[in-house]
Amino acid sequence: MSIEATGLCKVYGKTRAVDDVTLCLSDSVQVLALIGPSGGGKSTFLRLLGGLEVPTSGEVRVDGKLLPTKEEDLMKYRSGNGFLFQSFNLFPHLTALENIVLPLVQVHGWEKPKALDRAKSVVARFHLTDHIDKRPCQLSGGQQQRIALARAMAHEPALLLLDEPTSALDPEMKAGVLDLIEELCQSGQRIVLSTHEMGFAKRSADQVVFLSEGKLIEEGSAESFFESPETDEVGGFLSKVMKW
Amino acid sequence: MKYFVSITVSIFLGAIFCLIFRVLLIHEYNWAAIAPYRFNLFSGWLVTLGISAAALVLSVFIGALLTAGQLSPHRLPGWLSRAFVELIRGTPLLTQILIGYYLIADAVGWDSRFGVGLVVLSCFSGAYLSEIFRGGVESIPQSQWLASRAIGFSGWQTYRFVVIPQAIRRVLPASAGQFANLIKDSSLLFVISVHEFTMQARETNANTYATFEAYLPLILGYFILTFPISLLSRHLEKRFSYEH
Repeated sequence: MSIEATGLCKVYGKTRAVDDVTLCLSDSVQVLALIGPSGGGKSTFLRLLGGLEVPTSGEVRVDGKLLPTKEEDLMKYRSGNGFLFQSFNLFPHLTALENIVLPLVQVHGWEKPKALDRAKSVVARFHLTDHIDKRPCQLSGGQQQRIALARAMAHEPALLLLDEPTSALDPEMKAGVLDLIEELCQSGQRIVLSTHEMGFAKRSADQVVFLSEGKLIEEGSAESFFESPETDEVGGFLSKVMKW
Repeated sequence: MKYFVSITVSIFLGAIFCLIFRVLLIHEYNWAAIAPYRFNLFSGWLVTLGISAAALVLSVFIGALLTAGQLSPHRLPGWLSRAFVELIRGTPLLTQILIGYYLIADAVGWDSRFGVGLVVLSCFSGAYLSEIFRGGVESIPQSQWLASRAIGFSGWQTYRFVVIPQAIRRVLPASAGQFANLIKDSSLLFVISVHEFTMQARETNANTYATFEAYLPLILGYFILTFPISLLSRHLEKRFSYEH
């Protein structure tokens, strides 16, 4: 995917969540990892990319197309992507299966039987078939996040955006979700994720962007980023988080 | 201290019940006096049941409309709904019934006591329901709205598939309480001579001077209508608490 950001800013009150980020990623990047300290602007950058927020100034192009700013156009753009949140955000009044089927039918206009088939096949791939009739409150965190992932990718999104997908999970559940994400990476799915899982980023991402205090500090291939960081800030950050 | 509260409450309420029973037992009943009016009382009870049921439906409609107005992104319907709700909540129902019938309905040439009573009662209850409904909608976490936007839902679809189904569950117990109030409040319609239950009891008393015998059926008659709603409300509260 090609991503071009020019002078991108997002300001909330006095906070500059994303502060003048300029970035150009070539088409060869399939998996992009956003890394950096908490509150550094990863989530906001991801939401700008996903069309959930509109920039205060500057612009973003994805695959050469300028992201819209009008709500109607944004709605269409968002429906073409998939978004996964740290806190799952499943709909608690619907079963796992209904959570996946609802957007397929209502947003993408699929016939109900086709949507059901698709949802069931995704759920089978994610080893969740036994849980399709349960409501989110009856599922573990890891299961909820896997259902949320199924919902985000069932319509074969152009771009899958994952916002710290494993931060709310215990280590074992984390592994299960990361396995699935890696599988998606390998199947060619284009992914942008913000994460604190350095091991995963190193292993699965092609490109890494480091954001701190809203600013782009460093950007490069995953290999060079982890092996030989250019700035002291990234070096310091990595040595701290990789220590344990 | 542990027993003090229990003993005080028991003595206090026990004394009140004793007083009531004493008054009821000491009276020499003359049911024969009101026997000729038993059909009037029953027809009054049916009118109360009918006007309450009709007002229940109409008040839900009015409540939903006022909620939509208050949540509207446009200012005019927001202000108008807010003003209507505050006006209704800030004035006594008795006043509204009198003004509704003798001033407003008279001005537009509408002379149905039952009709005017129904509309005034529905507006009154609708205003309270709209506050309950609005609270329900606003209690749906931001994460649900965010997830709906991420999926590509329009504003209307977000309400239709995500917010309203969840809000309904949350507002059911409080709404049931409001419905019980509605039934009891309908007794004020006697001031414009709607021949409902309380009105019939008053007439029976006026004709027979059998005050006890005329008014005691009111307790039973209203309780039969409101107690099932109270039970339903408790049941719903319990069921709701299991879900979360």
